Amino acid sequence: MPIIVNLDVMMAKRKISSGDLAKKIEITPANLSILKTGKAKAIRFSTLEKLCEVLDCQPADILEFRKEDSHADEI
Amino acid sequence: MWNQDKSLNLSILLVRVLFVLIIILALCVPIMVRWYDIVSPDRTGLISGSVFWPLSICLYLSAICGEVCLYHLYKLLKNIKNDIVFKTENCKHLRYISWCCLLVAIPFGIFGFWRFLGFFVAFAAAFFGLVLRVLKNVFVRAVEIQEENDYTI
Repeated sequence: MPIIVNLDVMMAKRKISSGDLAKKIEITPANLSILKTGKAKAIRFSTLEKLCEVLDCQPADILEFRKEDSHADEI
Repeated sequence: MWNQDKSLNLSILLVRVLFVLIIILALCVPIMVRWYDIVSPDRTGLISGSVFWPLSICLYLSAICGEVCLYHLYKLLKNIKNDIVFKTENCKHLRYISWCCLLVAIPFGIFGFWRFLGFFVAFAAAFFGLVLRVLKNVFVRAVEIQEENDYTI
Protein backbone atom coordinates (compact mmCIF):
# COMPACT_ATOMS: atom_id res chain seq x y z
CA MET A 1 0.00 0.00 0.00
CA PRO A 2 1.40 3.48 -0.82
CA ILE A 3 0.49 4.84 2.63
CA ILE A 4 3.32 4.11 5.05
CA VAL A 5 2.73 4.20 8.80
CA ASN A 6 5.80 5.61 10.53
CA LEU A 7 4.45 5.01 13.99
CA ASP A 8 7.48 3.04 15.20
CA VAL A 9 9.77 5.94 14.20
CA MET A 10 7.70 8.43 16.17
CA MET A 11 7.51 6.04 19.12
CA ALA A 12 11.30 5.71 19.11
CA LYS A 13 11.67 9.50 18.96
CA ARG A 14 9.31 9.95 21.91
CA LYS A 15 10.80 6.92 23.70
CA ILE A 16 7.44 5.31 24.39
CA SER A 17 6.73 1.61 24.50
CA SER A 18 3.89 -0.10 22.60
CA GLY A 19 2.16 -1.09 25.81
CA ASP A 20 2.23 2.46 27.18
CA LEU A 21 1.03 3.96 23.92
CA ALA A 22 -1.78 1.41 23.58
CA LYS A 23 -2.89 2.21 27.11
CA LYS A 24 -2.74 5.99 26.55
CA ILE A 25 -4.69 5.98 23.28
CA GLU A 26 -7.10 3.34 24.64
CA ILE A 27 -6.67 0.65 22.02
CA THR A 28 -5.55 -2.95 22.46
CA PRO A 29 -1.86 -3.83 21.94
CA ALA A 30 -2.99 -6.18 19.14
CA ASN A 31 -4.64 -3.29 17.28
CA LEU A 32 -1.57 -1.12 17.80
CA SER A 33 0.53 -3.90 16.35
CA ILE A 34 -1.74 -4.03 13.27
CA LEU A 35 -1.24 -0.29 12.89
CA LYS A 36 2.54 -0.49 13.34
CA THR A 37 3.05 -3.34 10.90
CA GLY A 38 1.04 -1.59 8.19
CA LYS A 39 -1.68 -4.25 8.09
CA ALA A 40 -4.40 -1.70 8.93
CA LYS A 41 -6.80 -0.82 6.11
CA ALA A 42 -8.04 2.42 7.68
CA ILE A 43 -7.49 4.64 10.68
CA ARG A 44 -10.23 6.49 12.54
CA PHE A 45 -9.85 10.24 13.02
CA SER A 46 -10.36 9.69 16.75
CA THR A 47 -7.40 7.25 16.87
CA LEU A 48 -5.25 9.61 14.83
CA GLU A 49 -6.21 12.48 17.10
CA LYS A 50 -5.19 10.53 20.21
CA LEU A 51 -1.94 9.41 18.59
CA CYS A 52 -1.02 12.98 17.66
CA GLU A 53 -1.93 14.17 21.14
CA VAL A 54 0.10 11.51 22.97
CA LEU A 55 3.09 11.60 20.62
CA ASP A 56 2.88 15.40 20.30
CA CYS A 57 3.14 15.37 16.53
CA GLN A 58 1.21 16.02 13.32
CA PRO A 59 -0.63 13.37 11.26
CA ALA A 60 2.01 13.79 8.55
CA ASP A 61 4.66 12.63 11.03
CA ILE A 62 2.85 9.32 11.36
CA LEU A 63 1.47 8.80 7.86
CA GLU A 64 3.45 9.09 4.66
CA PHE A 65 2.47 8.70 1.02
CA ARG A 66 5.02 6.89 -1.11
CA LYS A 67 4.39 6.09 -4.77
CA GLU A 68 4.49 2.38 -5.53
CA ASP A 69 7.26 1.26 -7.83
CA SER A 70 5.41 -0.07 -10.91
CA HIS A 71 8.53 -1.88 -12.14
CA ALA A 72 8.98 -3.79 -8.92
CA ASP A 73 6.71 -6.63 -10.05
CA GLU A 74 8.42 -6.94 -13.41
CA ILE A 75 11.80 -7.54 -11.79
CA MET B 1 -37.21 -19.39 26.74
CA TRP B 2 -36.42 -19.74 23.04
CA ASN B 3 -33.16 -18.08 22.02
CA GLN B 4 -30.61 -17.99 19.22
CA ASP B 5 -28.45 -20.74 20.74
CA LYS B 6 -31.40 -23.14 20.96
CA SER B 7 -32.36 -22.32 17.37
CA LEU B 8 -28.81 -23.08 16.24
CA ASN B 9 -28.76 -26.34 18.21
CA LEU B 10 -32.07 -27.33 16.62
CA SER B 11 -30.61 -26.67 13.15
CA ILE B 12 -27.55 -28.80 13.96
CA LEU B 13 -29.80 -31.57 15.26
CA LEU B 14 -31.96 -31.46 12.12
CA VAL B 15 -28.87 -31.64 9.92
CA ARG B 16 -27.68 -34.71 11.84
CA VAL B 17 -31.12 -36.36 11.60
CA LEU B 18 -31.28 -35.66 7.87
CA PHE B 19 -27.76 -37.05 7.42
CA VAL B 20 -28.85 -40.38 8.93
CA LEU B 21 -32.20 -40.27 7.10
CA ILE B 22 -30.49 -39.93 3.72
CA ILE B 23 -28.33 -42.99 4.47
CA ILE B 24 -31.46 -44.99 5.42
CA LEU B 25 -33.31 -43.77 2.31
CA ALA B 26 -30.31 -44.62 0.14
CA LEU B 27 -30.48 -48.18 1.44
CA CYS B 28 -34.17 -48.28 0.54
CA VAL B 29 -33.65 -46.94 -3.00
CA PRO B 30 -34.22 -50.31 -4.80
CA ILE B 31 -37.54 -50.82 -2.97
CA MET B 32 -38.73 -47.24 -3.59
CA VAL B 33 -37.72 -47.27 -7.24
CA ARG B 34 -39.38 -50.63 -7.87
CA TRP B 35 -42.57 -49.29 -6.31
CA TYR B 36 -42.36 -46.08 -8.37
CA ASP B 37 -41.76 -48.10 -11.52
CA ILE B 38 -45.05 -49.92 -10.92
CA VAL B 39 -47.21 -46.95 -9.94
CA SER B 40 -45.90 -44.27 -12.36
CA PRO B 41 -47.61 -44.12 -15.77
CA ASP B 42 -45.29 -45.23 -18.54
CA ARG B 43 -46.10 -42.52 -21.10
CA THR B 44 -45.04 -39.44 -19.17
CA GLY B 45 -41.67 -39.01 -20.85
CA LEU B 46 -39.89 -39.13 -24.17
CA ILE B 47 -38.29 -42.50 -23.40
CA SER B 48 -40.66 -45.26 -22.38
CA GLY B 49 -39.88 -48.38 -20.38
CA SER B 50 -38.62 -49.16 -16.93
CA VAL B 51 -37.09 -46.35 -14.87
CA PHE B 52 -35.37 -48.67 -12.42
CA TRP B 53 -31.78 -47.95 -13.46
CA PRO B 54 -32.10 -44.27 -14.45
CA LEU B 55 -33.96 -43.38 -11.26
CA SER B 56 -31.69 -45.52 -9.07
CA ILE B 57 -28.56 -43.82 -10.45
CA CYS B 58 -30.26 -40.44 -10.03
CA LEU B 59 -31.19 -41.09 -6.43
CA TYR B 60 -27.77 -42.49 -5.49
CA LEU B 61 -25.99 -39.48 -7.03
CA SER B 62 -28.42 -37.17 -5.25
CA ALA B 63 -27.81 -38.99 -1.98
CA ILE B 64 -24.04 -38.45 -2.33
CA CYS B 65 -24.56 -34.76 -3.15
CA GLY B 66 -27.04 -34.49 -0.28
CA GLU B 67 -24.55 -35.94 2.19
CA VAL B 68 -21.80 -33.60 0.99
CA CYS B 69 -24.27 -30.71 1.28
CA LEU B 70 -25.21 -31.68 4.81
CA TYR B 71 -21.57 -32.07 5.83
CA HIS B 72 -20.82 -28.51 4.70
CA LEU B 73 -24.04 -27.26 6.28
CA TYR B 74 -22.98 -28.88 9.55
CA LYS B 75 -19.55 -27.24 9.35
CA LEU B 76 -21.19 -23.90 8.58
CA LEU B 77 -23.51 -24.17 11.56
CA LYS B 78 -20.63 -25.20 13.83
CA ASN B 79 -18.67 -22.11 12.70
CA ILE B 80 -21.66 -19.86 13.34
CA LYS B 81 -22.00 -21.43 16.79
CA ASN B 82 -18.33 -20.60 17.46
CA ASP B 83 -18.91 -16.98 16.36
CA ILE B 84 -16.98 -17.49 13.13
CA VAL B 85 -19.49 -15.97 10.73
CA PHE B 86 -18.12 -13.72 8.02
CA LYS B 87 -15.01 -15.73 7.18
CA THR B 88 -13.65 -17.06 3.90
CA GLU B 89 -14.12 -20.63 5.17
CA ASN B 90 -17.90 -20.14 5.33
CA CYS B 91 -17.95 -18.82 1.76
CA LYS B 92 -16.22 -22.04 0.73
CA HIS B 93 -18.91 -24.12 2.50
CA LEU B 94 -21.68 -22.14 0.80
CA ARG B 95 -19.97 -22.58 -2.57
CA TYR B 96 -19.81 -26.36 -2.10
CA ILE B 97 -23.47 -26.51 -1.07
CA SER B 98 -24.47 -24.47 -4.10
CA TRP B 99 -22.43 -26.70 -6.45
CA CYS B 100 -23.98 -29.82 -4.92
CA CYS B 101 -27.47 -28.47 -5.64
CA LEU B 102 -26.48 -27.65 -9.21
CA LEU B 103 -24.95 -31.12 -9.62
CA VAL B 104 -28.18 -32.78 -8.47
CA ALA B 105 -29.96 -30.94 -11.30
CA ILE B 106 -27.88 -32.79 -13.95
CA PRO B 107 -29.00 -36.41 -13.29
CA PHE B 108 -32.58 -35.33 -12.69
CA GLY B 109 -32.48 -33.28 -15.89
CA ILE B 110 -31.48 -36.46 -17.73
CA PHE B 111 -34.11 -38.47 -15.85
CA GLY B 112 -36.68 -35.99 -17.17
CA PHE B 113 -36.50 -37.79 -20.52
CA TRP B 114 -37.97 -40.88 -18.85
CA ARG B 115 -40.44 -39.03 -16.67
CA PHE B 116 -41.16 -35.31 -17.12
CA LEU B 117 -41.30 -34.98 -13.34
CA GLY B 118 -37.49 -35.14 -13.40
CA PHE B 119 -37.36 -31.75 -15.13
CA PHE B 120 -39.26 -30.14 -12.27
CA VAL B 121 -36.90 -31.62 -9.68
CA ALA B 122 -33.90 -30.55 -11.79
CA PHE B 123 -35.30 -27.03 -12.09
CA ALA B 124 -35.96 -26.82 -8.33
CA ALA B 125 -32.42 -28.05 -7.53
CA ALA B 126 -30.83 -25.66 -10.04
CA PHE B 127 -32.91 -22.76 -8.75
CA PHE B 128 -31.94 -23.53 -5.15
CA GLY B 129 -28.29 -23.83 -6.19
CA LEU B 130 -28.49 -20.45 -7.89
CA VAL B 131 -30.05 -18.81 -4.83
CA LEU B 132 -27.25 -20.25 -2.69
CA ARG B 133 -24.69 -19.00 -5.19
CA VAL B 134 -26.07 -15.47 -4.89
CA LEU B 135 -26.01 -15.86 -1.11
CA LYS B 136 -22.37 -16.94 -1.37
CA ASN B 137 -21.58 -13.81 -3.42
CA VAL B 138 -23.22 -11.67 -0.74
CA PHE B 139 -21.18 -13.53 1.88
CA VAL B 140 -17.92 -12.89 0.00
CA ARG B 141 -18.70 -9.15 0.01
CA ALA B 142 -19.63 -9.31 3.69
CA VAL B 143 -16.28 -10.97 4.44
CA GLU B 144 -14.49 -8.09 2.68
CA ILE B 145 -16.47 -5.52 4.69
CA GLN B 146 -15.83 -7.45 7.91
CA GLU B 147 -12.08 -7.58 7.21
CA GLU B 148 -12.05 -3.87 6.44
CA ASN B 149 -13.86 -3.24 9.70
CA ASP B 150 -11.47 -5.53 11.62
CA TYR B 151 -8.47 -3.68 10.22
CA THR B 152 -9.83 -0.20 10.91
CA ILE B 153 -8.09 1.02 14.01
